[in-house]
Amino acid sequence: MNFPFGILAISGRWFLDFLAYLGELGALSGQLVESIKLGAIRGRLMLQQIVTIGYGSQAVVIVTGAFTGAVFTAQSYFKFKDFGIESSVGGIVSVSLCRELGPVLAGLMVTGRVGASMAAEIGTMKVSEQIDALRVMGAHPVDYLVLPRFLAMVISMPLLISECIAFGLGASFLVGTGIFNIPYAWYWKHVVDHTGLEDVGFGMIKGFVFGILIVLISCHQGLIANNGAVGVGLGTTRAVVYSSLSLLVCNFFLTFFLNYFFPLGSAM
Amino acid sequence: MAAISYDKPFIRITGLKKSFGEQKTLQGVDLDIYHGETLVLIGPSGEGKSVLLKHIIGLLNPDDGKVELEGTDLSHMKERELLKMRRRMGYLFQNAALFDSLTVAENVAFPLLEAGIRDRTEINKRVQEALELVELGEHKDKMPVNLSGGMRKRVGIARAIISKPDCVLYDEPTAGLDPIVTDVIDLMIQRLQKRFQVTSIVITHDMGSVFKIADRVAMLKNGVIYFIGTPGELKQSSDPEIQNFIAGRSGMCA
Ligand SMILES: Nc1ncnc2c1ncn2[C@@H]1O[C@H](COP(=O)(O)OP(=O)(O)OP(=O)(O)O)[C@@H](O)[C@H]1O
Ligand SMILES: [Mg+2]
Repeated sequence: MNFPFGILAISGRWFLDFLAYLGELGALSGQLVESIKLGAIRGRLMLQQIVTIGYGSQAVVIVTGAFTGAVFTAQSYFKFKDFGIESSVGGIVSVSLCRELGPVLAGLMVTGRVGASMAAEIGTMKVSEQIDALRVMGAHPVDYLVLPRFLAMVISMPLLISECIAFGLGASFLVGTGIFNIPYAWYWKHVVDHTGLEDVGFGMIKGFVFGILIVLISCHQGLIANNGAVGVGLGTTRAVVYSSLSLLVCNFFLTFFLNYFFPLGSAM
Repeated sequence: MAAISYDKPFIRITGLKKSFGEQKTLQGVDLDIYHGETLVLIGPSGEGKSVLLKHIIGLLNPDDGKVELEGTDLSHMKERELLKMRRRMGYLFQNAALFDSLTVAENVAFPLLEAGIRDRTEINKRVQEALELVELGEHKDKMPVNLSGGMRKRVGIARAIISKPDCVLYDEPTAGLDPIVTDVIDLMIQRLQKRFQVTSIVITHDMGSVFKIADRVAMLKNGVIYFIGTPGELKQSSDPEIQNFIAGRSGMCA
């Protein structure tokens, strides 16, 4: 094959594979919607998943939020001091935490922790015929495995993100007022002046969308696993990589989309 | 023996074909299974016996041909419709396929919960009965990873029969079991047939079991049903391939 056609063929194949992949995710979403419509909700499984996903991810998310808030405060303070506006650090930290850092960082941490375990667990069930065993006994794998994880995730994600934001802001407050001696009242006034309910809503909506992305991508990788231990390993890696990347890309578009409804400043 | 009605087939397989990539596994299988009979499926390893059984319960989709259950074609049914059909059947996987996150008792109770039974005392009673049938009464709180291979298989059998299905498909129920437990399982299959008119399809490599439990024997070879008939006819067959298979002669010398 000569040079330009080779490149075209490779990128063409890559593009077709990507479309096929999107199609499979779409099919899984369709089955999930069907399963919700049928009301096939298994309360006990959902509660178990809320415990593993929501309750179990708190420590990770809190530490991530707190240290990000702290370090962001420090860096902003160093620069803002040159302009003599160091007391407004609280405003920028709080807006960024709500709109970007909270949802994205919490989303990435949950991907690593929960997405990986979903793909590995479901993938192991697939390669050891346990998924077939479910089907034989009349349980739809999407009802039994995907729906409880989906519900647990869309319930947990917004809560985890609020925790991430709250602890980030708390750490920022401690660093700003404790280490850099910004007066409490000024710090707080800037936070309150610059952060509205819409900024918090912004973060929650992002969290909700990220939760759906993580569940769909990770469960899909589990359900298509084959080839034994190697296949499960590969599926787990893919679940984390695909979820993280799609989360970051989706975040960019969501920011523009949501900013249309909840504008920040007067840029757009 | 309970009456087996040979007039109308319970399961009818016609022209079933299945390939995996280049490998043609099933190449046109025709087979009828009747209400209340025990059909034993034998044949060389890797010839597609498990694949055939998976088609009967709709886990695999045929490339060509069809599987009918009392006249309804399974091969074009949606998964959700198949799920309802499957509740009438029990299935033992070759590797047992127990849920490794559930205890033995929870595994065995699974089909009952799926069938919508919620009464705890009834579930416990039936789980205990099913486990005792396979001589595992004392092990109900263990996790599957902590069981021996033979025990896992027997839990699989208990799980396949607990919901009193009309038809049970066993993929090598006695492989890896000692001779006494093998006899227990063979007797259990016969008892289910006599008491509850359960239709059974049993894959086995154990010729002793074949002659003990089979009403009819089918041999799968080269992707087709190579022989079908009663155990007596199998024994009388003049085909050297069949005679070598029954006697376990490979034709090689030491
Ligand atoms: N999912 C699959 N993908 C690819 N090939 C498969 C698959 N399932 C089965 N096969 C192939 O089909 C053939 C038949 O397999 P099957 O498990 O039905 O054999 P079997 O008759 O049950 O053998 P045994 O008596 O050893 O259990 C094998 O060659 C196997 O490699
Ligand atoms: Mg087999």
